[in-house]
Amino acid sequence: MKIGLRTWILIIALSLALLAIAPSFQKGVLIKSVEKNSTAFNEGLRSGMIIKEINSHPINNLEDYTRIISSLFMNTSEKIRLDIKTSDNEFIFYTNKPLEITISGIPKTKIKTGLDLQGGSRALVKPEKLLSLEEMNDLISVTSNRLNVFGISDVTIRPVSDLEGNNFMLVEVAGASPEDLKELVAKQGKFEAKIGNETVFIGGSKDISDVCRTNAECSRIESCYKLQDNTEMCRFSFVVYLSEEAAKKHADITSKLGVNVTEYGKYLDKKLDLYLDDNLVDSLLISENLKGKVTTQIQVQGSGTGKTREEAHTDAKENMKKLQTILITGSLPYKLEIVKLDSISPLLGQEFRRNITLLGITVFAIISAVLFIKYRKIKITFSVILTMFSEAFLTLGIAALIKWNLDAPSIAGIIAGMGTGVDDQIVMIDESVSNVQLGMKERIKRAFFIILGSFFTTVAAMIPLFWAGAGLLRGFALTTILSISVGILITRPAFAEILRKIQE
Amino acid sequence: MHSILYLHRAGSIVVSISAFQADDPGSSPGQRIQQKMEAQETSQENKSLYDKYYKFLMLIPVIVVLFSSVYLFLFYAKHQDIMLKDTTLSGGTTITVLSDVGDSKVKILKDEFSDLVVRKLTDSKTGEIIASIFESSVESEFLKSRIEKTLGYNLTNENSSVEFSGSALGEGFYKQLITAMVLAFLLMAIVVFVLFRTFIPSIAVIFAAFSDILVPLAVVNYFEIRLSAAGIAAFLMLIGYSVDTNLLLTTRAIKNREGMLNSRIYHAFKTGILMTLTSILAVLPAFFIVTGLPDSFRQIFLILAIGLFADIANTWFLNAGLIKLYCEKKGIT
Repeated sequence: MKIGLRTWILIIALSLALLAIAPSFQKGVLIKSVEKNSTAFNEGLRSGMIIKEINSHPINNLEDYTRIISSLFMNTSEKIRLDIKTSDNEFIFYTNKPLEITISGIPKTKIKTGLDLQGGSRALVKPEKLLSLEEMNDLISVTSNRLNVFGISDVTIRPVSDLEGNNFMLVEVAGASPEDLKELVAKQGKFEAKIGNETVFIGGSKDISDVCRTNAECSRIESCYKLQDNTEMCRFSFVVYLSEEAAKKHADITSKLGVNVTEYGKYLDKKLDLYLDDNLVDSLLISENLKGKVTTQIQVQGSGTGKTREEAHTDAKENMKKLQTILITGSLPYKLEIVKLDSISPLLGQEFRRNITLLGITVFAIISAVLFIKYRKIKITFSVILTMFSEAFLTLGIAALIKWNLDAPSIAGIIAGMGTGVDDQIVMIDESVSNVQLGMKERIKRAFFIILGSFFTTVAAMIPLFWAGAGLLRGFALTTILSISVGILITRPAFAEILRKIQE
Repeated sequence: MHSILYLHRAGSIVVSISAFQADDPGSSPGQRIQQKMEAQETSQENKSLYDKYYKFLMLIPVIVVLFSSVYLFLFYAKHQDIMLKDTTLSGGTTITVLSDVGDSKVKILKDEFSDLVVRKLTDSKTGEIIASIFESSVESEFLKSRIEKTLGYNLTNENSSVEFSGSALGEGFYKQLITAMVLAFLLMAIVVFVLFRTFIPSIAVIFAAFSDILVPLAVVNYFEIRLSAAGIAAFLMLIGYSVDTNLLLTTRAIKNREGMLNSRIYHAFKTGILMTLTSILAVLPAFFIVTGLPDSFRQIFLILAIGLFADIANTWFLNAGLIKLYCEKKGIT
């Protein structure tokens, strides 16, 4: 049988979807995050690497990793040698404690599941006033800084708005408990700069009138160079404008300090320590010429390191941005309220995933049986099933491509979309065998009128869901629209072609 | 081989049959004729019955819709709202504990929280209870601490899920979802008018969609099911599903002119009922076969199932009759 153009399009689309979903059969464990400045980090382990072997023991999955690491460190407090082989490199460590990394199994596909299906915590945060786009971006940087400082990884933060024009920040964390999240997100950020025990200035507009952020004249990466141990380092600097009051305080405190001479230059004998919620996040050297001087303009310097120059540059830029954000918005000038706080047990999520797969298979089986009983034709039944499968698969492919997190409503949308898909195909089959005095083309055309009509009404009905309720049901609308669009554009034309071939 | 049979009956009603079986290459010629004769007789019978009773059939969905409206009206008078809302829409806390909490402990908690609702989640395979779900309008920490006290152990991320929605947010969500529903309905109505460009048939399709929403709403209210945000999304989906079959019926009856009106309606019915049945069969396993699913999921499917059942009556009893009356008046045969 010759394969027509539309069927080819379907085949190509399916192959592309397969590429987008890309099931992985790789063995090993994936490094999700590496603690900054830990041994693991300094030796070059990075998130995204895949650990294959430890001390020549193959690591196929999480269990292997946990078993081997715990057996190695169980009854020793001495430093031991760890040979870690990743997919394209080898690392050697001498350490007396497990590596400061978080790991996970290698995801089998690129399909991402939502929080309700994989477990984790989510907070919907509402600022007390309506924020501008810029303010919202600041809020998001501040929040992600805070979560980073507290060592919480695997965070997604995004702005959402709703039909009434409210804006929210949605924070999703795979690991943290809801208590942590509540503590970190809702509590006002407190930023303090201290010299010794004395507070020089605090974050926010009272003490800091401005921070140079975008102007390259006063905010830049200054220089990069190689260190003795062959790692690279880049220095950054930016200007902070203090209020008169804070500047006087700074002069008072620094006038009492002594001077140290170091290889890099002359500095005061105490550092300027930056605290975020009472955690020390950075210590800055104070140059000698600032001693006792009332200056409203101070230059803050810092550095970033990495194995290559590029890495060091990126690190320095990141550190600079972090510091700037803390300084300018250290304490937010408005209150935050957590309006929704959910935490889903990963075990429950696992149970749901298993059941949804089971449900999918059951639905397929039932529909196949009904169609076979009705039409008694294996070819027709088979092509309907194939089309149904293609639609679901293509929808998943697009979801993987746009990195959509498939939550329970999204999957319900795919199944509902499959339902309309089958409906359309039934219309086509029945149109194709009725009114036989009309040409096949005309009959299929008539079927398409009904199909297009139902497509547009469903799309029209789903569109408002994109905005209602802070977009928490957007997944349902998105997958429904995706799956019926895939139907209209790709699978339905191919099905018509196949049907014509079968009927001829 | 695609033969059509015209059969003239008294009263100048013409019936055409082009049954699917006629194309079946698997049956022998003798059998085929036999089948055709049978089909002919039953459809002849059906159609005469349909002509006699279609006005009566139209009454059934009308009564159901009226009954639902009255029920919803009374419901509104009692609850000051058209539905019962769960914690995602009214504000409050839902705690899912991954174990079967015994009745005595549930009772202790119910005594403490007057509005506490408790449900159980069963495993699809074993039928065992895998989780107990507690819902109340109080703050999450308060409910959590009381459940911990009653159970005698701490609730962690591993053994429980905690979902909290502020009441202002829930209220906002609810308002917006209702707005979304009205918007969806209006958009659908516009699309239908654009498709048909005639008043009566469009109104018939829109009315069917309306009653497809009304009836399941009355049913879930009757069973005192507390709707979640996802549940309301299902009503929107229902708008799409509902229009499918009505579109089929109206197109076949009004736009296509081959064969006689009754037979066109009958053929549309044969196609449409299969569509609705497969859709119902696609959503029902979520209740009877695979049970360990998220609540939002099950609610979507429950509402779709009820709506689809209502759609059978609304489309094939009421709308078919309306279309028949309309066509006869306009002289479309």
